[in-house]
Amino acid sequence: MELGELREIIKLLKEEGLSEITVWEGERRVTVRQEGPGVASGEAPVVIDTVRNKAAGATAVSAPLVGTFYRRPSPDAEPFVEEGAQVEPGDTLCIIEAMKVMNEIKAESAGRLRQALVEDGEAVEYGQPLFLFEPT
Amino acid sequence: MTFHKVLVANRGEIALRVIEACRESSLESVALYSEADAAMPYLRLASESLCIGPADPTRSYLSIPAVMSAAEVAGAEAIHPGYGFLAENPHFVEVCEEHGLVFIGPDSRVMKLVGNKLAAREKAASVGVPVLPGAAVPTDEKKLRAAAERIGYPLFVKAVFGGGGRGMRPVQSADGLTDAVVAARAEAQRACGDPGLYLEQAVTNPRHVEVQVLGDRTGRVIHLGERECSIQRRHQKLIEEAPAPHLDEVLRKDLHRAALATAHTLGYQNAGTVEFVLDNDGGFYFIEMNARIQVEHPVSEVIVGVNLVKEQICLARSGALAISQEALDSRGHAIECRINAEDPTRGFLPSCGRIEIDELPSGNGVRLDTHLHNGMEVSPHYDSLLAKVIAWGRDREEARTRMYTALERFRIRGVATTRSLMQEIVSHPAFRDERLGTDFLDNLTT
Repeated sequence: MELGELREIIKLLKEEGLSEITVWEGERRVTVRQEGPGVASGEAPVVIDTVRNKAAGATAVSAPLVGTFYRRPSPDAEPFVEEGAQVEPGDTLCIIEAMKVMNEIKAESAGRLRQALVEDGEAVEYGQPLFLFEPT
Repeated sequence: MTFHKVLVANRGEIALRVIEACRESSLESVALYSEADAAMPYLRLASESLCIGPADPTRSYLSIPAVMSAAEVAGAEAIHPGYGFLAENPHFVEVCEEHGLVFIGPDSRVMKLVGNKLAAREKAASVGVPVLPGAAVPTDEKKLRAAAERIGYPLFVKAVFGGGGRGMRPVQSADGLTDAVVAARAEAQRACGDPGLYLEQAVTNPRHVEVQVLGDRTGRVIHLGERECSIQRRHQKLIEEAPAPHLDEVLRKDLHRAALATAHTLGYQNAGTVEFVLDNDGGFYFIEMNARIQVEHPVSEVIVGVNLVKEQICLARSGALAISQEALDSRGHAIECRINAEDPTRGFLPSCGRIEIDELPSGNGVRLDTHLHNGMEVSPHYDSLLAKVIAWGRDREEARTRMYTALERFRIRGVATTRSLMQEIVSHPAFRDERLGTDFLDNLTT
């Protein structure tokens, strides 16, 4: 997590008057907590996962259909998009196989791939987040 | 055919019902849901659940690729279609067969045959089951008029691939014939995907009685008695009961025999229903066969003591009936009232909103089949059925009074429902005195 993102989270915590925000990024977890007047104690912490966290500056690409997720065109090929790589609208991001049909999922906007959220060959549901992109 | 994991390709109370039956049959279940149904509590009861699409049913529950893909990724070996959605779609059954999935219902050949209402009529007639005078609608206007004259008015224009009131128009006299055919053809094309029509003589204020059957792959067919379904609104059933009240015992046996003969000649497998209309002179006529588990199946279950959804699963697994006709017996009387999210005071307009539950019926002889939960959003995307209240009694009168109390305890807020109308019907002298016919509701409101 970059310093700028952390600042954004702290800003959000103050603006919304929350007592705690936890951000998950894969295995890493960052919790920002504030104590003081006006903050009710004993409430459940507000957990904002990275997928929906606009403050972290990332947008998610979700599965448009249910099926099997593939990050690469064939088992021994390189992934369509490596983490950190730049994509342009129309670039293929992955394949979702449904009923023996390989559906290529394409980028709708430009961005840099921060993280792939699903492992190769995993089943995905409709609406399940697949990638996190930083818009460019 | 052996299977261990069943995909539940439906939503609401019937999805819950199938999940329960899977658990009781020691089978794993996979529940499917659209984004609108993500909070349904019954999803927890399934072994696993998968989101297959947005609220729009054409992109979720009705999408064959989405359902099949979910079956594949979840490793399901069988599919229970429930009722509605893909339940009677012969193409879906074919796709299941091509993918080596067990469709819990009849095979695609039977599904095609039963789906063609005109062909099913002819099949039934071929084994001596009475059908009403009828004919395919000819394209030529002159021939159409002649065919209608031969059949006689009033008559119905019906969709060949319709059923359940879809693409159906009543015609009182020759004046309305052409308009009815044009309107029915457009509706048949839109709702059934085929413009084919036929004419069938109409019976004035008939009773609707249907017979529940179970068939296996060896050609054996048994029946689980009949259900009275005469209380309807625009061909949509509102109240069903079993057994049918004040039916002549000879007629009752004739209906059962006719249902068995029809199912047998169609080569019917799994659970199905043979529908008849009864006229006021003791005559009965085959109308259509429904190749699915029906909404009103609980009234038969309650009096016969057979779990029909479990039997469906059992039949799909073993291919042979485990119960014999002789072992079946019926006990008492059961009534079902459908509680729909519709406003009877505003022309049965569907009512949407967020449900708050104050009280739900329960207790001796009361069964409630529902997916209702506090905070549930009733969405405009789906059928308005919220709950089925089923009351059992030693006789019809006990079931009827028990139903009235159960309905009184059905108290929810947030949407308009048909609850009060149901109470009005079951407490009406005509209903109490078993004066039943499909015009019942019209006579009540005028």
